[in-house]
Amino acid sequence: MTFNYICAFAFIVLGLYCIVAKHNLFKIVIGMSVVDYGANLLIVSIGATNGGTAPIYTAGEIGAGTVFVDPIPQALTLTSIVIGACVTAMALSLVIKLYQQYGTLDTREIRRLHG
Amino acid sequence: MENLPILSIMALFMGAFLNSLVGRRSRAAGNAVVLIAMGAAFCMMAALVPAVFFGGQTICYWLGGWAPDGGWAYGIGLEVDALSLFFGLIVTIAVLVSGIYSFTYMKEDDSQVNFYTLFLMLSGSVLGLVLSGDLFNVFVMVEIMTFSAVALTAFRNEYEGALEGAFKYLVVGSIGSTCILVGTILVYANLHTLNMAQIAALAPANMNMTMVAAFAFLFVGFATKAFLFPFQPLAADAHAVAPASISLMISGVLTKCGVYGIIRLCYGLFQNMDERSVGYLVTGFGMVTMFICVTMAFNQHNFKRLLAFHSISQVGYVITAIGAGTAMGLSAGLFHAVNHTLFKGLLFLVAGAVQHQSGSLDLDDLGGLSKNMPRTTVLFLIGAASISGLPPFNGFASKWMIYQALFEKAAQSGDFFYVLACLTALITSVLTLASFIKVAQSVFFGQRRAKYAQVKESPLGMRLPMWVLAALCALLGIFYRAFAAGFLNPAAGAALGVDAYIANALTGESVLTEPVSYWAIGSWNPLVWLILLVLATCAVALVSVTNKPRVREACAEGSVSQSAESVVPVTMDGVPAGGSASESVPPEEAKYEPFFSGEESEYSQVGGSDLFWGFKENCRKYFAFWHKWHSGVVNDYALYAVVCLAAVLLYCAAFVK
Repeated sequence: MTFNYICAFAFIVLGLYCIVAKHNLFKIVIGMSVVDYGANLLIVSIGATNGGTAPIYTAGEIGAGTVFVDPIPQALTLTSIVIGACVTAMALSLVIKLYQQYGTLDTREIRRLHG
Repeated sequence: MENLPILSIMALFMGAFLNSLVGRRSRAAGNAVVLIAMGAAFCMMAALVPAVFFGGQTICYWLGGWAPDGGWAYGIGLEVDALSLFFGLIVTIAVLVSGIYSFTYMKEDDSQVNFYTLFLMLSGSVLGLVLSGDLFNVFVMVEIMTFSAVALTAFRNEYEGALEGAFKYLVVGSIGSTCILVGTILVYANLHTLNMAQIAALAPANMNMTMVAAFAFLFVGFATKAFLFPFQPLAADAHAVAPASISLMISGVLTKCGVYGIIRLCYGLFQNMDERSVGYLVTGFGMVTMFICVTMAFNQHNFKRLLAFHSISQVGYVITAIGAGTAMGLSAGLFHAVNHTLFKGLLFLVAGAVQHQSGSLDLDDLGGLSKNMPRTTVLFLIGAASISGLPPFNGFASKWMIYQALFEKAAQSGDFFYVLACLTALITSVLTLASFIKVAQSVFFGQRRAKYAQVKESPLGMRLPMWVLAALCALLGIFYRAFAAGFLNPAAGAALGVDAYIANALTGESVLTEPVSYWAIGSWNPLVWLILLVLATCAVALVSVTNKPRVREACAEGSVSQSAESVVPVTMDGVPAGGSASESVPPEEAKYEPFFSGEESEYSQVGGSDLFWGFKENCRKYFAFWHKWHSGVVNDYALYAVVCLAAVLLYCAAFVK
């Protein structure tokens, strides 16, 4: 489980590095997605239980020996994935428009607003 | 009564859907839907006022009827205490004003259906955020808010830089949102709940390293949403290119979400505001923000970009006051938060009116518009007086309270840090006034270019919302005592009375919150100040009418000697500039010529927008540094965000218990 946590934060750091260091607009969008994946992995890992099954039970089925994963983080992850997809779509549509207007994908040339 | 919070959020979201259904057929029907949705949300918020503010109740609504059982909250709830409702009222009033302004302002734009749909989604998400009692819901609302705000920033995408500003906002904004998500999930990992009251009940006893990290993540996330330093370049970019009514929303409503988040975080969830290190963190952020942003405003040549920096500077005031951690500091912060929405909204709407009528926002280009738009000029002056803290307007009352709160805190704790904060607040206020003199000079007074001779007064549909804001500015300034007793003190009391919040939400009993009380130096009477102001204005007017040359001398002597020396604009050959205008006047007066020459004289080298040329020249290294810092490259802004996150994480790990 510790491995999961390390991976999750590694993903987040990697994504942030991508956003900070890469000057291509598409790579920045990819970086944003990677940060999202890291956060999602973190959420799922927190809810996970070793040997647990899917949390789908009726009232009578749950006994002392039933092991299942925490359902709430999974619901959160679903929401977070949907939001991540929306953000990516939005960012990509902005990238298309930016390319049409500026004729470049290099962030160093897209800086009419500064100072 | 319990249903009103959810209904008000639903009204805005349903309005968004209905608008996109009927708005395509007929714009008038669409506008009616928007108006009804906004009005309904406002009325429902207002209907809660007696019970929550005057009765001290906390309204809880559990979605799907999943009420808490055995002191453990299972469901998703809306928990409306006085603090939430206070921000709910700010939000709904700002939305109403902004929407009504948009009806006229956006008339010539195409795809207005999408505009209003996004606008109502933005409004609904912000209202949902401040009323929510569930931390994950807060994250979802933050995402919807960022999302629709980005889309609205880029709405006029043919406008220079609109897409660019939106993209930067999206990238750095999503870093902030991710911080909130990670913070939320770290809290869940420790406490196994997402309900805010439950977290507040459990968090103080269960602090460990992970919880400290969660605090740092949440703090940075909300700081991004409030555009505190180092996130202010986003606000500047987004404001400068967004439609004016959206600038009002971004400055008046979105930043308030960040402020609300920080208050809830420090006072409610973690209750660590009385810790010295947290106080330093919050006040430090506020201080740096208010000072750097106000100096950045000096360098700006775009009307709305300048206002954007001022807007963030004023948010810095709010955060500084909140960081004091006292009842009075919190009240003062809340007061300044509502005032910020009012006067900043007014100023953005004025900028929008200027842009709408003249087609330009360039401070170097505009000038002398007071002849064309006298009514708008009056509105601008009210807004400028409010933000600069001139009596009798609301800015004075709240800044006065902030100074007092910081001073009191410094005196009580003997901490030099708060003395510094108080001084920074005072200096910032002076710089704000100076900066607005420059704006007034370069937009409304000074020389008018020939192409602006035909500019007309802004239409009534745009002036009406502005008058509402201006009237509120004056009313809150004059009747600040009643406002403090009725609204501020209950809201601050609710923020400080966490036990009542927890008990209301988890046990279902109705525990009333007490308003805070503090001793404020209320020896000033706004009416006296008003009379003083009128007298002073009359005196100046009288002198200037009767004896023109003497005014010039008096002003010349009165100006700061240090900057007066360097004020002379020098051309490339080292000859004092001023052209033919300076030949006719004695050399001693020539250097003040740019300041006092009316439109009769020749066009001067130092324009109205460069009124503080000398000051800027003296501090040019400082200004050059910050100019370079706001590089406009999105990678740099993301880097600042990451560095800020790392710094706050380290600080919290080292100092926050």
